[in-house]
Amino acid sequence: MNKSKLITMKEAVEQYTYDGMYFGHGGALPVGSDCISFFREMVKVGRKDIDIASNCNSQGTNLLAAVGGLKRMEVGFSGLEVYGFANGLKRAVETGQTVLEDYSNGAIPIRMMAGALNWPFIPMFMNTGCDQQWASADDPENYPNTKKIPEITDPFTGRICGAFTPIKPDVAAIHVTMADIYGNAIMLGTEWNRYELSRCSKKVILCADKIVDTGVMRQYPNLVRIPYIVVDAVVYAPFGVWPQCSTGLYDSDEEHMYYMNKMLKTEEGTNEYLQAFGQYDDVFDYVNLVGQERIDKITKTDTAFLMDPYRQWIKTDAEIKELLERR
Amino acid sequence: MDYTRQEMMAIATGREFKDGELAIFGVGLSMLAGFFAQRNHAPGLMAFTEGGVYGSTPVGGLPWGIEDNRISANAVSFTNAIDALGFLVASGRVDNAVIGAAEVDKYGNVNTTGIWAPDTEPWKVGKYTLPRVRLNGSGGANEIATGAKKYLLMVTHEKKRFNEKVAYISSPGYLDGGNTREKYGFPGGGPSAMITTLGILRPDPVTKEFILTGYYPFSSIEEIKENTGWDLKVAPDVQVIPEPTEKELENLRAVDVTGSLRKK
Repeated sequence: MNKSKLITMKEAVEQYTYDGMYFGHGGALPVGSDCISFFREMVKVGRKDIDIASNCNSQGTNLLAAVGGLKRMEVGFSGLEVYGFANGLKRAVETGQTVLEDYSNGAIPIRMMAGALNWPFIPMFMNTGCDQQWASADDPENYPNTKKIPEITDPFTGRICGAFTPIKPDVAAIHVTMADIYGNAIMLGTEWNRYELSRCSKKVILCADKIVDTGVMRQYPNLVRIPYIVVDAVVYAPFGVWPQCSTGLYDSDEEHMYYMNKMLKTEEGTNEYLQAFGQYDDVFDYVNLVGQERIDKITKTDTAFLMDPYRQWIKTDAEIKELLERR
Repeated sequence: MDYTRQEMMAIATGREFKDGELAIFGVGLSMLAGFFAQRNHAPGLMAFTEGGVYGSTPVGGLPWGIEDNRISANAVSFTNAIDALGFLVASGRVDNAVIGAAEVDKYGNVNTTGIWAPDTEPWKVGKYTLPRVRLNGSGGANEIATGAKKYLLMVTHEKKRFNEKVAYISSPGYLDGGNTREKYGFPGGGPSAMITTLGILRPDPVTKEFILTGYYPFSSIEEIKENTGWDLKVAPDVQVIPEPTEKELENLRAVDVTGSLRKK
C-alpha cells in the first residue's frame, strides 16, 4: 500500500480511457453522486463510441450522449428525477445515435455483483414478464426476445425466472467523498452501485471530492468500502459532482441542473454550453469556473455536519499540488 | 374546502398506508403521499428509499431525487441499491409502495419507457422499434412491481394515459389478466389500486381488470369513464371518497412545503 496512485484528471482520462471502451460509472445517480467532471474531461478530449453500463443516467451520460460520444448504454433509469427528462440522452436515443438497452435499477447492480463474483449468469425474477425481457435494443428484430434475458427454470422449485449476463466493464470511474492517495475511500450518502462496480471492473479510477490522510481510514476502517486493492488511480475532483449533489459537501445546483439540461436539448445549445463550461486547464481552474458565488450557495447544505468527524484529515489544495509534484 | 386534485390524489394514496408497514417511496408525488401518511396517521410507518437511505424525513423542501441531500440530512443508515431494491423489495419483504406511470392499462401494467406512434408499438409490430418519445425507463419500479406484497399506482387521470393495452410494459401488473401473472415466479402480489386525480380503481379479484370503486366529491362516474381509454366497469358498491379533512390537508401541506401539489 506504499505507492501513491494520485494522478491528475487529465492523466487519468488519457491513460485509462479510450474510444470504444466498455465503461462503468458510479454512483450513477441522476441528482446525487457521480463522476461528472470525469465525463467533462472525456468530452473535452473527444472520447467516442463509448459503451456504458450505467445504473442511472446522470448529467455525465447526458452530456456524453449530447455530444454524440455514447454508442450504447445499459441502464435502469434514463431521466433526471424531479429535474425531468435527460434531454441530451433523450435526443440521442430518439435519433438512433445511442442504443439504449433497458433494465431496472435493481437488476443493474445485481448484474455487477455477478460480474464481481465472476459468475456465468445470475437468475432473477425482476425484469421478467415485461418488456425489459421481451424488447432488446441490441436485437430489435426479434420480439419477444429470447436471448437478452432467457427464461430458465429453477431446478429446485420449477419456478420460471430470467438468466442475466454479468457486467464487467473495462474501466470504471467512481465518485467518492474522500480518498487517500493509495486508493482507500469513504462514501457518504447512499453507495448505490459503487461497491459492486469497484469489484466488477477491470480498471478502477476514484474521483474524490476530498483527498485525505490515511489516518481517517485507520480510524474508521468499517466505512472504507472501497480499499486500495481494487483501485488503480486516484483523482482529486473538487466539486466533481456539480451540478449534482455530493452528500456532506454540497447540494444540487437547481439553476445549473435546469440550465445544463435545457442546453443539451440541441446540438447548438450543447456547443454553447461547452464553450461556457467545457474550457479549463485542470481541476483547480475548473473550481474557478464553477465560481465562488455558486460554491457559497451549494455548500450551505443541511448535510454539512456529516463531514465533521473527518475534517482534521482533509488535505489542502497546496498539499495536493505538492503530492502531485513530488511523484 | 379549497384543495387541488393533486392534493386529493396524494391524500387518497396516503390513506392506503397503515401504521407499522414497511414501505418504499419513489421521488416526487409518491414521497409526499408517503410522508403525509407517516405524519397524519401512520407514525410507525418504516420508510426507506431505493438507494438505501433509512429513517429520514425531507429537509428544506421536496427532494430532487431519492438520493438528494434533502432526504439524506437526518438518515440513520446509508446502504446501497442491492440492499434496498434487492434484499428488501425484490425479495418480497416490502408491505406497500407507490409507483407513478406515464401510461397504464386495464390490468395495471405500467409504461414509463416511451411513447410510440399508433400501430408501431413493439407488441403490435413484432419488433422493437424506436419510441417517438423516449421516457425515463423503469427505475426501481420494476422491483416494486415484481417484489412488493402490494403497491399503489398513482396516475394523472387522462384518456391518453389509460389504455386498453400499454405500448411497453416497464413494470408488470396483472399482464393479460386472470392468472397470467402467476406464470412468473414474482414474490410480489401485484397492484392493489390505481389512485388517480379523478378516483380510485381496484382490480377484480378474478379477472384482475381494474374497475371503478370510488370517485371524489368533485368528479363523477361519467367524467372518469370519459377519461379512460377502455370500457371501464363500475363496481356495484362504488362510493364517493371523503374529501380531505382539515387535519389531513394541514399534514399534507406541512410535508409539501414548497406547494408542489397546490399548483392547479
